[in-house]
Amino acid sequence: MPEIRLKNVTKRFGKFVAVDNLNLDIESNAFITLLGPSGCGKTTTLRMIAGLETPTEGSISIGDQVVFDAEKGINLPPNKRDVGFLFQNYALWPHMTVYQNIAFGLENLKWDKKRIRQRADELLHMLHIEAFENRYPSELSGGQQQRVAIARTLAPGPKVLFMDEPLSNLDAKLRMEMRTELKRLHKDTDSTFVYVTHDQLEAMTLSTKICIMNGGVLQQYAPPLTMYNAPANLFVADFMGNPTMNFIDCKVKAEGDRAELSFGDVGCVFHAKGEIRLKGDTCVLGVRPEFVRIGGEGHPATVYSTLPAGMETTVKLNVGDNLLTAVVFGDVDYPADSQVHFSFTDRAILFDREDGGKSAAEGTVKLL
Amino acid sequence: MNMLRVKGRVRGWFSRPANVILLIFFVTLVFLTLYPLLSLLTETVTIHTGREARAAKEAAGTVSLYHFQRLFATAENDYSWIQFYQPFLNTLTVSLSSSLIAIAFGGVVAFLVTRTNLRYKKFISAVFTFPYIMPAWTLALFWETFFKNVNIGLKTSNGIMASVFHFFMPEWFVYGAFPIALVLGLHYAPFAYILIGGILRNMDANLEEAATILKTKRARIIWRITLPIVKPAMLSTFLLVFASSMSAYSVPVFLGSPVRYYVLSTKMKSLMDSYPGQAYIIVGVMILFGVAILLLNQRVTNSRKQFTTVTGKSGQISRINLGKANRPVALLLVIILLMVAVVPLVTFAMESVIVKAGDYSPANMTLDFWIGTNLDQRLDQGDSTGILLNPKVWNALGFSLGLAVTCALVAGTSGILVGYGVAKRRGSRLADMVNSLSFFPYLMPSLAFGAIYLSMSSSFPWLRGFLLLALVGSVKYLPFASRSGVNAMLQLSGEIEEAAVITGVPWWKRMLRVIFPIQKSTFLSGYLLPLVSCMRELSLFVLLVPTSNTILTTMLMQYSEKGWAQFGNAINLLIIVVVLLINFIVNKLTGASIDKGVGG
Repeated sequence: MPEIRLKNVTKRFGKFVAVDNLNLDIESNAFITLLGPSGCGKTTTLRMIAGLETPTEGSISIGDQVVFDAEKGINLPPNKRDVGFLFQNYALWPHMTVYQNIAFGLENLKWDKKRIRQRADELLHMLHIEAFENRYPSELSGGQQQRVAIARTLAPGPKVLFMDEPLSNLDAKLRMEMRTELKRLHKDTDSTFVYVTHDQLEAMTLSTKICIMNGGVLQQYAPPLTMYNAPANLFVADFMGNPTMNFIDCKVKAEGDRAELSFGDVGCVFHAKGEIRLKGDTCVLGVRPEFVRIGGEGHPATVYSTLPAGMETTVKLNVGDNLLTAVVFGDVDYPADSQVHFSFTDRAILFDREDGGKSAAEGTVKLL
Repeated sequence: MNMLRVKGRVRGWFSRPANVILLIFFVTLVFLTLYPLLSLLTETVTIHTGREARAAKEAAGTVSLYHFQRLFATAENDYSWIQFYQPFLNTLTVSLSSSLIAIAFGGVVAFLVTRTNLRYKKFISAVFTFPYIMPAWTLALFWETFFKNVNIGLKTSNGIMASVFHFFMPEWFVYGAFPIALVLGLHYAPFAYILIGGILRNMDANLEEAATILKTKRARIIWRITLPIVKPAMLSTFLLVFASSMSAYSVPVFLGSPVRYYVLSTKMKSLMDSYPGQAYIIVGVMILFGVAILLLNQRVTNSRKQFTTVTGKSGQISRINLGKANRPVALLLVIILLMVAVVPLVTFAMESVIVKAGDYSPANMTLDFWIGTNLDQRLDQGDSTGILLNPKVWNALGFSLGLAVTCALVAGTSGILVGYGVAKRRGSRLADMVNSLSFFPYLMPSLAFGAIYLSMSSSFPWLRGFLLLALVGSVKYLPFASRSGVNAMLQLSGEIEEAAVITGVPWWKRMLRVIFPIQKSTFLSGYLLPLVSCMRELSLFVLLVPTSNTILTTMLMQYSEKGWAQFGNAINLLIIVVVLLINFIVNKLTGASIDKGVGG
């Protein structure tokens, strides 16, 4: 089983640094997501591993084979790396039928006709596209093209599969459906998946581990729930989760694992799991919307707007100068400008702006 | 009630500017293209006065199938073979080979420039369109003056190759099918370069990368993926080059006629004077050919294998590293381009300053043919002053420029309007018809087009001189303009205009203030191409000019027919310099370029 290892990989386009000194270990059989906003270097990273792009510095190995090493001058072409690649726009060959598209790669491997037919049939069946075998790509819908592209990529049975935002051209419903199937596919094919997306929900639901990048720099590399509950910095905390985390600028008096916070006329106390590492006397309190409770005891707030979505309701609250987001389960409706009380129920994180937005402590927060 | 509904519908239809434009152009184009076609058909079955009537032994004006019988089925003295079948086969040979040369040369260079890390790319792509900007006969004339010698052809004098390098080329190399196909191929290679290069540049690189990942070898990728995808562009190039080569007149005249190698166009010209009926039949055959290729082209490109429009991250094209081959390939290309684009100019300059042909020593050189006076006393060479002091030349230059600008304005503006109408009503039958009609003049051989308009003008006495030339030029160059117009409009999302409609901006203002500025450079290319083509047009106007001194190109023709080689070469150089200058200035000022006009 191949394990992919990136060491000090840097890619520059002229003066622009697309990927900056990236170190990454991808365990075999993992489903890794490269996540980040557009232009963060995630696609470039993927293309470098696949061999479609040449890194400026560093080394990459797949399994026990070094496929790239800038110092030793090793650069294996993509066709020698034994990988599969699923493109964002599918890149189906417009002049070949579905069958020809799938069979093409197998012909390159000099398989005999019967075996190609067999394998193609297997894939056509697996992806439910038997009916389109003789059609051209332009005669298929987006979802069907997607399946053909997957079939074509899977045909030679690659042990590593790269996917570059494969679902971004599909509509919301189809995307949901394909997500389920991709996850199933990962289990059935027993391969390592490396997946690029800018959709945090996709990353959360699919991956075994997420690698989140910004401006070419790795921000955090962790399993989805770790990333959600213990983000390494403000960027990660902000990127993960929808609706996004509440960030409240506070004045702080910290001592050991306890801190007193205040914002506006609100005061609260924070209990950290370990020692609080702050550089100054301010911090950013991060609270997920599901840990902001409305009703019962608490501090008064004004409802700014309510967004009921059926299963849960997102409520925006004005507290002094801060706009807080709360999520309430069930379809509760609060009229705009009505007065409510809010409180913090559980987990929270302290970030230190003076330390580049790094996480300073994890713990729980309560109103005073 | 019903009447009201019909009225409302009609008013609704006419309230859309696109409909009105299409209707106007439909009517005009039917008259300007189908009427000539019809009159062409009548000419083929009419006995004309003079030799034709005597030969047919019938009264002039009689309707008869005599011409067909004579041209296609006269075994006596191999008449049909000599007059039709042989030239027909020659045309096929020449047009097919020139298309293949153009596609191969232009396509390979396009591939090298867009897909590899070739050196000197900038120079190569800048100079590559030169041969098209220059008149086609330039290369032909160059080929002849460079390689001719006293052993072959008209056996008049030695060219540079023979007199300077003492290398006597064989006849097949200097005259006949080989040089004609080569010269036409080189002349039209820019078409291939522009059309195929455009596809290669816009082609999704992921298509090739997907094949690479699936362990496909380089050669197989090019053969199985790249080539099939540029196939439509190759077919379009084939259509354009084949049609153009077939109707090319000046190149086969210079390189074929001296050794009695005739193609349909030159045969038609020689038959036109004595047996116009047969000449018109040849025109008809040529048009049929063009239409057949056009239909074939449409069939192939409209197939199921069309391209999906989902675009990917195509910015990341990985260029092939040519490695050690890079420099030799680049140098070879540069040398070829210099030979094709720069050396001819130098040759013309040389030829225009030597007194005695074939002698290239400095003692034999003079600038008299450019700026000399009282030449008739010193030289046996027609005009008495050098061309830059000759008012006739300046008059002709002025007329040519005026004509070119007029044609460009009319054709270019019409092209934009046709583009607007066709794009807005895309898929409707009227739009399709206008689209095809506006391309039709391209398939008409220039010489024949001129001939037909000449005969048409006799029914309209006011249609003479400048007006006639301007009309013919505008119609003939409309295909270029309408192509770039349609392309420009199709790239523009309808919402852009609709946003202006909502706020109540009138149609003309939408065109001038919204649509035109956005696609300015493509539209302007639609003006540039007719301008350049018109400036160097010969065969279209040769039958229509009142005197041969009217425009520069016919003047050049006259001078070279009279054997005033130095004047001819000087005027030739003048034309080329003017054309290159116009192209350069327009390109620098507006960003319009020939390639946008052809490729869109």
